[in-house]
Amino acid sequence: MAIFLTVMLAVYAAGIVLPLTIPVRPTLQNLLANSLAGVAATLGIVLGATGVVAPDPLTLTWSSSIPLLAFAVRLDALASFFLLTISLVGLAAAIYAVGYLRHLPSRVSPAALGALFNAFLCAMTLVVIADNGFLFLIAWELMSLISYLLVVTDHEDPDVRYAGFLYLIMAHIGTAFIVVMFLLLFQQGNTFSFEAFRHPERVLPTSLQTVVFLAALIGFGTKAGIVPLHVWLPYAHPAAPSHISALMSGVMIKTAIYGILRVSFDFLGGQFPWWWGFLVLVIGAVSAVLGVMYALMEHDLKRLLAYHSVENIGIILLGLGAGMLFHAYGLEDLVALGLLASLYHTVNHALFKALLFLGAGALLSATRTRNMEEYGGLLRRMPWTGACFLVGAVSISALPPTNGFVSEWLVFQTLFQSGQVPSLLMKLMLPLAAAMLALTGALALVCFAKAFGISFLALPRSSHARHAEEVSWTMRIGMIILAATCVLLGLAPMVVVPLLDHVIQPMTGRSIAGQMLALGGWTLIPVDAEFSSLSSPVLAMLIAGSAMMALALTALAGGWREKRYARTWGCGLNLSPRMEYTATAFVQPIKRVFGTIYQPTLKLETELMHESQYFAKSRRFTVRIEPIFETYLYLPVAAIMPALADRLRVIQAGSLHVYLAYIFVTLVLLLLIAL
Amino acid sequence: MSWLTPRIGAQLVDLGSAMLLLTCFAIVAQRRLSACVDLFALQSAFLAMTATLVAFLTGTRHIYIAAALTVVVKSVVIPHVLRRVIERLNVTRELVMNVNVPASLLICGALVMTAFIITQPIISFGHLLTRNSLAIALAIVLIGFFTMIARQKAVTQLIAFLVMENGLFLGATAATYGMPLIVELGVFFDVLIAALIAGIYTNRLQDAFDSVDTSRLSELKE
Repeated sequence: MAIFLTVMLAVYAAGIVLPLTIPVRPTLQNLLANSLAGVAATLGIVLGATGVVAPDPLTLTWSSSIPLLAFAVRLDALASFFLLTISLVGLAAAIYAVGYLRHLPSRVSPAALGALFNAFLCAMTLVVIADNGFLFLIAWELMSLISYLLVVTDHEDPDVRYAGFLYLIMAHIGTAFIVVMFLLLFQQGNTFSFEAFRHPERVLPTSLQTVVFLAALIGFGTKAGIVPLHVWLPYAHPAAPSHISALMSGVMIKTAIYGILRVSFDFLGGQFPWWWGFLVLVIGAVSAVLGVMYALMEHDLKRLLAYHSVENIGIILLGLGAGMLFHAYGLEDLVALGLLASLYHTVNHALFKALLFLGAGALLSATRTRNMEEYGGLLRRMPWTGACFLVGAVSISALPPTNGFVSEWLVFQTLFQSGQVPSLLMKLMLPLAAAMLALTGALALVCFAKAFGISFLALPRSSHARHAEEVSWTMRIGMIILAATCVLLGLAPMVVVPLLDHVIQPMTGRSIAGQMLALGGWTLIPVDAEFSSLSSPVLAMLIAGSAMMALALTALAGGWREKRYARTWGCGLNLSPRMEYTATAFVQPIKRVFGTIYQPTLKLETELMHESQYFAKSRRFTVRIEPIFETYLYLPVAAIMPALADRLRVIQAGSLHVYLAYIFVTLVLLLLIAL
Repeated sequence: MSWLTPRIGAQLVDLGSAMLLLTCFAIVAQRRLSACVDLFALQSAFLAMTATLVAFLTGTRHIYIAAALTVVVKSVVIPHVLRRVIERLNVTRELVMNVNVPASLLICGALVMTAFIITQPIISFGHLLTRNSLAIALAIVLIGFFTMIARQKAVTQLIAFLVMENGLFLGATAATYGMPLIVELGVFFDVLIAALIAGIYTNRLQDAFDSVDTSRLSELKE
């Protein structure tokens, strides 16, 4: 295992250095960088899979000359699980990137991009395997900075620069909180070793533990994109090249979930008051609902997907929060269920979100636009991409027989166990969270009906879409791998659940896989067979069977063999793309219903002819959604800052004497205080 | 010299330190720049005397070298450079002050008291015969710093900076019988270079503003 780990890190290192050493041969640089990343990711998959089931964690330590920093890595089940997720998505993205990079503008150097890609994967790997706070912070910051560099790949576009700037600021605010958290934990034993955090010499008082937890929640939450810290996410994720977006949205934000789990269940030992879990639950519910609601209004495909990351992080936090809440009431089996559901959704989201981003990248490279309103009819031109995107869309909408359905169903089952909680308030709140989740699921379905329908069906709306061609084979393979795993993880919970059970066992001390899997693993029973059970293979067979039946019936009725071609009813007009349902129109009813939240503004500007008021020269119609958090939370704060700075400028008089006087007064005061 | 008991020796060191402090006050009260330079040379001579005394009483050889350097660098070379600067710039008096002379003297008096209050707890722990000079050394540093703030001409500020350095040197002698020789050599070199650079900078200031008033520098503000 140790050999595998070293080789994996060495291959990543080679992937960072080697492409840069090759002189101007873009194709070779591209191939080399991505194949090295692919090899390293494959090693990561092996390592992660073995690490999850290994009885003892693998620990490696190299001491360093820098005080408090030790190159300590530990591959326990939790770290292995995240390593597996990262490597799986990393592998698909690496294969995809070989073809994708050919479509990027030539001024983007494939060598630099490949090196950064390797470095990004390597940094994320280090984040999850680090066993020392110092090393963790270094890896975390590397991850943020490298992803920033990747976000601003297209830095000539001012919007991209703005996205990068916003991302950088938010990333550093988050890191500041994580630093505070580690410094507080550092006080337990004057060391940054995770082992010391786990088994502290002296336990922090409860009030400080609360601060640690809240700092972790804010710090990691910024990276995860929980509401209201999500503002950077819809800007930064779409700005990066698509295979990078897939990594950022699919796995980078998962490192934050890793961090929250590590801190709350490992460092704090799972000893916490009920309101911590409740807080996570509320954040999860709000993030899920608002995320999907904003996603619905987006017509930029990648921004839409980015908002869905907010939603899915919310769903993951719903499972996690419910688990934490049950823990406070000592319902350990349900804790295990909540964590299992949340981890299941973590890996699922990583897979289908990466798949969807790769699909969006394929559409982008085929049509040169991200605006959904300019797509249409792409299924006929890009069948492979369309099929893979459909699998992703079905998954993210939590429809059977895909993985998203199983994990979201498990989250539901967790939330439905409110009956066992003694607190009346929680008895009310948990079903409310379940209702929010139901709303989220429904809206997600609408959203992807829109995304898939508008993009792939009907007539092409622009010449880009009319001339789109299927993407290269490497890109297709990258997507097919992810689509296949999405379906597999949906059909085979009997494989996934025992694996996840290994992961959560050290955290909760319970093993629930045995009682969850009945009939040789064909049926999933979260709590009680009386209450609920699910057999996804049977469900899949039922769906397939009924589809077959429908086909058979059609065939019997003769409709299959006899084909009649006729013009679509068009009121005597020729059908044109202008008659199609647009994305904006598709979501108009929802915009009306949730008008309070969206605060939509319609604006119709008419420029009239000079000569006569009855003829309009041009008309401009704009629909705008008010981004609540940006308008009412971030902009006021941003407005206060320059005002404050203006006030502070008074002390910057520009006079040497005044500056000397400041130093002097400070010196004398300090001397007197030190007395 | 049997009459030179440690007790009398300590008194003599205190006397030397007191003379240093006195010249400090004289510098603060003085308006004529050439007189300031002379006073600084005198102060450095007192410093060299005090250092020699400490070297003699404690038998710490390397302080002799430091004392000799003090005489050469601070009593001869730097005052010479400063006189040349004053001559060339044709400024003889400090006309505008941020804090006038009587107020400056009062503040300096307060600073001496502060220095004594601050060092009180430290002195009672010390066993060195020079320990009482520590308070005076701190007072000299503070007065030097204050003079930099209170005076506007670059030449006076340079002198004040050198006075601070003298205070630090006295402090080092008082607290630990001097720094290691290599450090002291380094410090002397630094001071010399600082004085030369400040001399050049003063000339540039004169060229740019027709004045060596450093408050004019605020015109460079954005």
